[in-house]
Amino acid sequence: MMKTLFRTCILFMSLLSTAATAAPIDNLTIVPPKASSGLNLSLSWTFGEATTSGPEVLGLRLLRRLPSETEWTLVGEPLAPDTTATSDTVPETGTWAYKLVSVYTDTPEIPKPEALSEDASEEEQASFDAEAAQLRTAWVQTVIERSDALGDDSDMATGTTKASWLNTNPGHLLLLALIALVGGLMMVYTRRAQRGEEIYIRRIPGIDAIEEGIGRATEMGKPVLYVPGIDDLQDIQTIASMLILGQVSKTVAEYQSDLIVSCCIPIVREVADEVVKAGYFQAGHPDAYNASNIRFISSEQFAFCAGTNGIMLREKPATNIYFGRFFAESLILAETGFVNRSIQIAGTAEATQLPFFVAACDYTLIGEELFAVSAYLSKDPRLVSSLKASDIVKVLCVAALLLGTVLHSMGNTFLVDLFKISG
Amino acid sequence: MKRTVPLLASFIIGLVMVGEFFIPHHQYRAMTNEFLEWGLILSAGAFLLGLVNLVQVNLPKVQRRDTDWQYKAIMLVALVVTLVIGFAGGTARQQPGYSYKWFFDYVFVPLNATMFALLAFYIASAAFRAFRARNLEATVLLSAAILVMIARVPIGESIPVVGDYLPQLMNWIMDVPNTAARRAIFIGAALGAIATGLRVILGLERSHLGGGES
Amino acid sequence: MIRQLIRFQNMDRRWIFLGMALAIVVPLLAPINFPFKIDERVEAIYEKIESLEAGDTVFISADFDPASRPELEPFYRANLHHFFAKDVKVVIGSLWPFAPPMVNPWLEEIAADHGKVDGEDFVFLGFKDGKELAIKLIADDVVKAFPKDLKERDTATLPIMEGKRQLQDFALMMSVSAGFPGTREYVLQVQGQYNLDMASATTAVSAPDYVPYYKSNQLFGLSGGMPGSAQYEKLVYDKYGNDSGLINARPIATQALNVLNMGHLFIVLLILMGNVAFFLTRNIEEA
Repeated sequence: MMKTLFRTCILFMSLLSTAATAAPIDNLTIVPPKASSGLNLSLSWTFGEATTSGPEVLGLRLLRRLPSETEWTLVGEPLAPDTTATSDTVPETGTWAYKLVSVYTDTPEIPKPEALSEDASEEEQASFDAEAAQLRTAWVQTVIERSDALGDDSDMATGTTKASWLNTNPGHLLLLALIALVGGLMMVYTRRAQRGEEIYIRRIPGIDAIEEGIGRATEMGKPVLYVPGIDDLQDIQTIASMLILGQVSKTVAEYQSDLIVSCCIPIVREVADEVVKAGYFQAGHPDAYNASNIRFISSEQFAFCAGTNGIMLREKPATNIYFGRFFAESLILAETGFVNRSIQIAGTAEATQLPFFVAACDYTLIGEELFAVSAYLSKDPRLVSSLKASDIVKVLCVAALLLGTVLHSMGNTFLVDLFKISG
Repeated sequence: MKRTVPLLASFIIGLVMVGEFFIPHHQYRAMTNEFLEWGLILSAGAFLLGLVNLVQVNLPKVQRRDTDWQYKAIMLVALVVTLVIGFAGGTARQQPGYSYKWFFDYVFVPLNATMFALLAFYIASAAFRAFRARNLEATVLLSAAILVMIARVPIGESIPVVGDYLPQLMNWIMDVPNTAARRAIFIGAALGAIATGLRVILGLERSHLGGGES
Repeated sequence: MIRQLIRFQNMDRRWIFLGMALAIVVPLLAPINFPFKIDERVEAIYEKIESLEAGDTVFISADFDPASRPELEPFYRANLHHFFAKDVKVVIGSLWPFAPPMVNPWLEEIAADHGKVDGEDFVFLGFKDGKELAIKLIADDVVKAFPKDLKERDTATLPIMEGKRQLQDFALMMSVSAGFPGTREYVLQVQGQYNLDMASATTAVSAPDYVPYYKSNQLFGLSGGMPGSAQYEKLVYDKYGNDSGLINARPIATQALNVLNMGHLFIVLLILMGNVAFFLTRNIEEA
């Protein structure tokens, strides 16, 4: 009887002292987000009216399980007490059950088993993991019971994942339309070019200088050095550089000069090798191709820079061509080329390096001009037409920018929201 | 056939990878991630080819005693030593006490820092040579450069009277005209990249495929 | 006189190099410490970290190499001191292969200063190859991206990684980046998608590139180069520095600013003198 009285007093006191400051969690709703991968769920909830005072709520914890299971699993980090939405990534598609519980300032930390020594065996590790999981489950159960007793938890709610095959956010759809527009315009102008229509490209002195530079190298009996940047083949600037290298190698072969290609990435070296070989074949001088002129230097940025500088100082190329993605080594390369009195033509879309190339090189191609070089040099109507297509889309982008600026200044964010890419 | 298969592969895989941005389905993403991992494996494999190329190009020059063959010999010795101590150290090679760590701390780090430090000197010589007020645009460039350089460091803020305003002016130059120009370059380059990518995917550009015939 | 001016304009670069060398060495031997103001972008980083609670966990991507060490090491050190002084837990990964052997010893040194425990208060996950793919993987599943940490322990079983599966599970993300891959790739690939609280400390050359991201709130803070590192050091060490006994650290960037002062001044004077010579000789040649 004394024990019962004691327990009743404790329960009564705990009820008095633990009437919650937080409100009950209502309307827990779980839906798959728009444009979901099929493994995401968005959760939202509201709070009911707060009851009498009690222990301070430290935060909320999200619990998850499959509807067929009985044990809840803790997911994510503790949420702030006033959070009303969150998201969760589930391990597999299907229907999942969720529950929100409150954690209080006096709730103990999740207990852990005794720490393992560093040289623990696999069995000891497995036993440790199992014990940790058990302690965690027990802690979760305690938290659920307390939160439930105080009315600060949510009812269980379920949500089903749904994978989308198309991201229908306006920004994404607009981008898709933009790409389709570029592709469509390319097709239109290609047809026109194939019918004989002349497509005008403005003169770009830097590109014209490539042939002059190769001619100069031939007259001086010195090689041309081509550096395709230091980035990997997957970068679009490196791809553009390889396309240009094809044209350059063909011209070098026609002039019967030497071409040295200095590569930072091994796979770029392999592609450059094939490209240069093809260029020499196309020019009708397959015997002039020298594989040892296509060199992998080092994949380390400054080691590559030092090696390429060494090539410049020893072999004294008459013309240096830098097309691709460059970083801090750009100025070191360009300055060393300047010491050699080489003609230097550079092109990159890396805005941070453009000032260095502008200061140290004779000609610099800025941004998109790099992507125009192969079309400009080849004069292939199909390639030139693609420049026309991207120019038209650029005009449309400028128009959208101007209109968006005006609208936004007037407080209308329609265009800004339309172009937003999220998720 | 020699060109058709690579062109077809470029087209299919190119479209699939472009689609990744627009198709959020987890199974589609799993497929594209697999393709990207294949690309990583190929790149890693190419390192072996790079190693072979290094030896193929430089060893004959050492054997023939070509010009500056000594530097090539040093490079080959360094290559072998680095490979040996790297493999010998195993996964723990970055821990103190290993030769690899010693080489990293006392050879690689100083050499790397030295090459980067060259930039300070080269910037000075390039700036001295290039920043001449030959015309209006060059004068504007020159003035902006001087202003930003002075305002960037505490000495600029310490100049009497104007020191308080220099950082604000510098921030305006960096935030407004500089950012506007950079954005213009980004947008132009992005559109150029889209066009180039489409040209490669659609097979309009073929010079990157190489090959021995026209 | 004219001949001298023309010779000056065409002088051997080595004289410029010598002048630059003196501009670097002299301030190291005889420093003049000019006061400096704190940029709002750097202050934003400081304030955000100040708002963190003890026990929060953050992710740092340490993507720099020995070349960018002078600019970024001071920030990285001050950042670690800041986190540890606030009892914030730190998980560090890297996308650059030469970062771990350089960055990990500093982490262990600073953690030891604060009495932090490896695996519980901090962990270095190591290097992940793959550039943009690695970033996507890290954002999606940190544990899958780094199944083992630098010391070959299972990442999933480390106490610090409990409940941390994705980048969005961390209180914030700090990108200490010297170039590619780095801040830009994180912003473009994952920041918007996962709505990450992200800041960047980067080299002076790259910082202007990331200002648009700061302006559009994709980054909550931005520290650029050595001035940014010095400003952040000042904020952190003034509050948690030697006076309060919490940090026993040398403000590296603040001391290096002396060199930056003189270096910039030298280049500016060189440009001005070059232009004076240019104008004087140009006018006379035209005449």
